[in-house]
Amino acid sequence: VKRTAHILLRGSLLIFLLFSKGLSVRCSAQEVDYKSYTLFVYNFIKYIEWPENKNQGDFVLGVLGDSPVIKELEKLAATKKAKGRTIVIKKFSSVEQVTDCHLLYVTSSRSASIKQLKEMCKNKPILIVGEREGLAKKGAALSFVTLEDDVLKFDINKSEIEQHNLKIPGTLILLGLVI
Amino acid sequence: MATLLRFLIISVFLLVPGTYSLMRAQHDSTASTTHKDSLDYYDMSLDQLLNVKGHGVPSELEALINSLISVASKKPLNTRESPSILSLVTEEEIKASGARDLIDVLRLVPGIDFGVDVQGVVGIGMRGNWAHEGKVLLLLDGQEMNENMYATTQFGNHFPIDQIKKIEIIRGPGSAIYGGYAEYGVVNIVTRQGGDINGLSVSGIYGQTAKDYMRRDISIAAGKKLKDFEWSLSGMVGEGQRSDQTYTDIHGNSYNMDGHSALDPAYANLGLNYKGLSFRGIADFYHTTMQDGYDRIMPAPYTQDFNSYFFELKYPVKIGEKLTITPKLNFKSQSPWNTPHGDSNDATYLRTVNRSTANVTASYNPFRKLNIVLGGEFYRDDAKDHIDTGRFYNGTNSLTFSNYAFFFQGILKTRFVNIIAGARYDDNSNYGDAFVPRLGLTKKFNKFHFKLLYSNSFRAPAIENIEYSPNNIIHPERTTVGELELGYQITRKSILTVNFFDITTTAPIVYYNVGQTDAYTNEGVTGTRGLEAEYRIKARWGSVGLNYSFYTTLGKERIPSYRVATDSSMLLGFAKNKVNLNALVYITKALSVNLTGTFYGNRWGYNSIGADSLPALKKFDPTLLLNLFIRYKTPVKGLNIGLGVYDLLDQRFVYIQPYANPASTTNLPHAPLPGPSREFILRLSYDLSFKNHSEK
Repeated sequence: VKRTAHILLRGSLLIFLLFSKGLSVRCSAQEVDYKSYTLFVYNFIKYIEWPENKNQGDFVLGVLGDSPVIKELEKLAATKKAKGRTIVIKKFSSVEQVTDCHLLYVTSSRSASIKQLKEMCKNKPILIVGEREGLAKKGAALSFVTLEDDVLKFDINKSEIEQHNLKIPGTLILLGLVI
Repeated sequence: MATLLRFLIISVFLLVPGTYSLMRAQHDSTASTTHKDSLDYYDMSLDQLLNVKGHGVPSELEALINSLISVASKKPLNTRESPSILSLVTEEEIKASGARDLIDVLRLVPGIDFGVDVQGVVGIGMRGNWAHEGKVLLLLDGQEMNENMYATTQFGNHFPIDQIKKIEIIRGPGSAIYGGYAEYGVVNIVTRQGGDINGLSVSGIYGQTAKDYMRRDISIAAGKKLKDFEWSLSGMVGEGQRSDQTYTDIHGNSYNMDGHSALDPAYANLGLNYKGLSFRGIADFYHTTMQDGYDRIMPAPYTQDFNSYFFELKYPVKIGEKLTITPKLNFKSQSPWNTPHGDSNDATYLRTVNRSTANVTASYNPFRKLNIVLGGEFYRDDAKDHIDTGRFYNGTNSLTFSNYAFFFQGILKTRFVNIIAGARYDDNSNYGDAFVPRLGLTKKFNKFHFKLLYSNSFRAPAIENIEYSPNNIIHPERTTVGELELGYQITRKSILTVNFFDITTTAPIVYYNVGQTDAYTNEGVTGTRGLEAEYRIKARWGSVGLNYSFYTTLGKERIPSYRVATDSSMLLGFAKNKVNLNALVYITKALSVNLTGTFYGNRWGYNSIGADSLPALKKFDPTLLLNLFIRYKTPVKGLNIGLGVYDLLDQRFVYIQPYANPASTTNLPHAPLPGPSREFILRLSYDLSFKNHSEK
């Protein structure tokens, strides 16, 4: 009986190993679709209203931290306009580097900086968008959330939006989850 | 040993070609995402944004393992974070395998096995433990199929296999949600509803061994979803046999089961739903004949029927966005183990039991990461003996029990762990109270997931357990289970999960046959520990599942009724080692080939009487059951044909009784009951879509 069990275990292990080697061509779980994130970002740009004095020149989209979303945002900037204006991507590797921009996308890797950013951007017309769930509660105006059925949504912190002198239309609010 | 090696070799051969196909399929799948490179993608309307997904196009496997499941938590959670050790069987898997009945489907699930009870009835075992009487809850469209006299569920050409949409299986305790019949597990069968059928569906199976037919069943279902109204009506009728072989009892007497072991189902299921208000009505008649009785065969075959009706009315009321209150009423009327009056081969048994249940469950989401479920349930059992002289222990021909239950569950999802805490409290007018808490920690981190679970559960004594206990006093048996599952998604199309379990049951309700009647008592401590490992690939080319189950009783206490005297690590009836393979390959879009197989290690049971007049223990050699099924979707739209063979190697599996009284020379066990020999099956099905029909 013991021998049977041992052979059984060895055989099963062998099969598992064969697979883990043989199938390592693309060894990743279901990947986050950052293109979907940029789709929402584009609609934020499209529908949210900035103060009149910020509606000239290029639309500056700042990204704090590193994330695969940057590649997608660059593709977005190359193909689409922000209400007729060119979208310029500015990458920041640290909070200290953050300069004036219209929309600041805070990647998951820099989510710990959200409180510092909140202070830095206080009363400035900057839309802070958090990549990680929960950031809208901590200082971002909007932050992404993936629901149980994998539908991508975003949390809306209305008071943050107002504090930054921005206006979000009701149609966009209906898409998100007001916290 | 040779059979095991052959089985493993077959597994490898099946899996390796699959690897190539898998990689090819992965390459193909990348094409499906290219549409996003189009400029139009950013011009989606706001309405379209409502359905944008957070992750890329899921592989077939990801769609399955991330599908939402509510059997273990009431609130839907994905299978990798749901707080139970789970198996999910899909409609496609069932149809592609050609499964003849629920035994064929559940046998492929890790940890599940089958044994014989008495009077030709086959029951379920879980992780080495005999679970036939009230330890595994079988739900069909939410209705508790276990009969309320003994709490058993009968397997073998019984339930409507062709109408199943999916089966969710908890391979661990579920009492904190489902109460006293879910001590070791829950099998939740969901049949196709109106929207799934969307037309008319007819199917049939014919099974033939070298000697005789083994089944000829026909199934029909119709249904439709029309805006707010959904209806479905399905039915099944058939004739089957347990076996075509010869049964030999422990005394050495034999009878030919061919023609004398009927398993004839008749079943109907009506579902109506209007704006959430739903009605369910099920009638289930299971007509059997057998001659094997308890230990000694009877002079001639006799009838034994299991008839049940189930009704349910339910309406979830949404109060705002965060609160849903669901009142539910159920009525269940059953006449199990019914031996008709006038049958001289066995004592007439004609007892019925009605259960009326009222349940209110509230689900509250104060915020997205927290869900609270609170509920209460009341049920009343009314049992009646319909024989003129029939009396229960109270001296009358009727018995009534009532039961109150309250349950709670909280699910808190955090970034690092999901915490699930719950409990159920039952208070029964006969056997008193039972409190069963549970705690679960689960989380998936990209490719890895874990589940750490601790649960208490209990088995509620059924009416006849009380009736046939000493002084009519019997207590609920209590079980404590610890489980750990680790899972790793090796590729986008394959996942490996391993779980470890430890089960301890205190004061189990143990059954003995005394002469030709029953006896129950609480006795000692029992349990098992072990592991289950499962490797699964699912892709466009097909799927492969390979799983291994292992249990041992080493370090656990054992009671005389279940133990194997010559092997301290095993319990009667169930193999310590079990391997399952389920390999499906789509040769073309229309043609699929499915190989399923189960390898059982040694088993132990009683099949004769020794020189000392006591039952003699016997070791049953390893068995390999291999099955092959080929399905062809014909050019006639909706018409499918399938041909297959079950028990290809003609191993003639026997169901062993997992309990016995080894010290009695008079109350002897039931000998192993043969199943069918090699069986060739033909399946036909035809689906007619209402919509397509009207378009023509």
